[in-house]
Amino acid sequence: MNALFQQVYDFVEERIGLKTLEAKLMKEPIKGGSRWAYVFGSVLLFIFIMQAITGMLLMFYYIPSADHAYASTQFIIHEVDYGWYILSYHFWGSSAMVVMVFAHMSQVFLWGAYKKPREMVWLVGLALFGLVMAFGFTGYLLPWDQRAYWATTVGVEIMDKTPVIGDFLARFLKGGPTPGQMTLSRFFVIHVMILPGALMGLAGLHLFLFRSAGPAGPFRGTPDELKAKTDFFFPRQVWKDIMAMGVVFLIISTLALIEPVQLLEQATPDPGDYHPEPEWYFLFLFQLLRWKVFSGEFGQFLGAIAIPGLFMLLLVALPFIDRNPERNIFKRPIALLCWAVVMIGIAVLTVSAILNREFLD
Amino acid sequence: MMEHMGLQPKIKSTVRCLDGPIGEVSHVIADPLTLEVSHIVVKSNGTERQVPVETIRSADENTVELSCKSAQVPEFPAFVRADFLSSKEVEIPHLEDRIHAEPGEIFVPFPELERSCARRTFFTGFTTLMGVLIGFPFVWPVLQYVMKPMYAPFDNRWWKIGNTSKIKQEDIGVQFTFKKSFRDSVLQREEDKNNWVVKASPATLKQIYQHGDITFTDNVGNVVWVNRATVPYVAYSGKCPHLGCGYKWRSHKTRGQVFLCPCHLSIYDVAGTVLDGPAPRPLDVLPIKISPAGEIEVIDIEFKAGKREQVRIA
Repeated sequence: MNALFQQVYDFVEERIGLKTLEAKLMKEPIKGGSRWAYVFGSVLLFIFIMQAITGMLLMFYYIPSADHAYASTQFIIHEVDYGWYILSYHFWGSSAMVVMVFAHMSQVFLWGAYKKPREMVWLVGLALFGLVMAFGFTGYLLPWDQRAYWATTVGVEIMDKTPVIGDFLARFLKGGPTPGQMTLSRFFVIHVMILPGALMGLAGLHLFLFRSAGPAGPFRGTPDELKAKTDFFFPRQVWKDIMAMGVVFLIISTLALIEPVQLLEQATPDPGDYHPEPEWYFLFLFQLLRWKVFSGEFGQFLGAIAIPGLFMLLLVALPFIDRNPERNIFKRPIALLCWAVVMIGIAVLTVSAILNREFLD
Repeated sequence: MMEHMGLQPKIKSTVRCLDGPIGEVSHVIADPLTLEVSHIVVKSNGTERQVPVETIRSADENTVELSCKSAQVPEFPAFVRADFLSSKEVEIPHLEDRIHAEPGEIFVPFPELERSCARRTFFTGFTTLMGVLIGFPFVWPVLQYVMKPMYAPFDNRWWKIGNTSKIKQEDIGVQFTFKKSFRDSVLQREEDKNNWVVKASPATLKQIYQHGDITFTDNVGNVVWVNRATVPYVAYSGKCPHLGCGYKWRSHKTRGQVFLCPCHLSIYDVAGTVLDGPAPRPLDVLPIKISPAGEIEVIDIEFKAGKREQVRIA
């Protein structure tokens, strides 16, 4: 068996230079050594792969039609063996993805790793962030329950407020003036074809750019100290990455087990007793739009389009505005303060949205 | 004549002719098809010349011996950089696995057909043009294809939603749900729709009709229906004019009975006027017909949410 394996290996090696490829993939020196702080990117890749696998499995039974989406999702949950697990894993996986994106971006921000020469890695990363949010948004329409219907209705109405292209964009997404079968078809194809394709392409580019620029390494330490601690990507960093993946897998599976997906009533334009609410990671935006300052046509544009848009633009411009080569977060008080304000802001808005639930009942 | 298959002349090696040293190896030139060294570039008195490998008598670690006299060396063609491509400038698989030339460079001849700059520009332009010619005719059909359902004409059908006998009191929001069956692409579907009807007191009616009768038009601006203040029943679209959620009739701590949207907490009075919250305009009144028997009929018009003005979309 070993001899056969060796023959196959040699055959491939002769044609494509497997050893070089292996060296390029695994023997990347990490300045200052492997760290737990560097696991987020790899974990994101892992979560994405698991989302792709569970997503494909869900499509074995799911029917993307307004007549059958709800029933086929119920079928997955209640009748297909372990269907509840696959669906719940996919559901909690999407939340894990959002959490991990925030962790990854925070790490890169705090470590000053977006600075020269890694600006392009950062930019492609921001596009990937957008894709992850788009995945979440298009994904939860698919079960066609009340949560799905209302989150989509409101989400698309928000996009409608984009200047110039808003009306077209909203109609394009809905596939008509009002949500219906065409909306489901479009969200389905965006969720299972367009976004995965875009994400795979951009994630590949992200990795290529990252490897071209090289890892940033720690933000303190003399060159000698960094050199002394340097090790390769494999085995120590890979070991940390796989441990983190294991923990994430365990957490998602546990959540799927103790809090499996339960559908609300089937989607319909009558909300009944249901208080529409988006997925938790959109709650802060949802709560923001409840504020009096964001009332009226202009206020709504400000809260729903202008502020999130400007925030994204600011992130895009960040490596070009912040040209100070200092990477130590403790010597970048403004950056630290901004990060804390954004994080606390999101946390406070999310918690207040949850507290508001009580007031509604 | 030495066997030159797989020859790996060392860069910086001293080059000796039959009558003594003449310079050093500065680069190697490879044949891009056989991936073997075809020439060495010998640097002698500041000029670089291409010496074919057949001229090499022997080579070891530090020296390359040529089978010619030093007087013959100037007869070899000069090495012109522009006539060659370095292995970094061209994609030849396995070339660098086969030949090592550090700290110099491996060169391959610049192909004859590639030297004409005019043709290169022409091909670039032609490729772009062909791309546009392929892509451009595709744009219009694709746009039409995806836009097909986006601007569907308005539906002006009347729907029976219930009877006024359900309303017991003036100035109270009463929900009327009805099954709306319609064709949704190839599907024949039924949806629960939701409207609110108020039996308005004279004061409420006055508030609602403060700008006179309410006129409804179709896509092209023809009047479809006019609601008049003489009818005391008023139907509101169930869609919140803020961002399209479904609002409810609730009692509020300080404001009493109001329409309240649980999404972004817009609050409207019974006449649909915004009391609080982010909504940009009052609730949308629908065309309403009441039969002598009290049957309520409405046109299920939908307006765009989030606009100060009503914009009909369905």
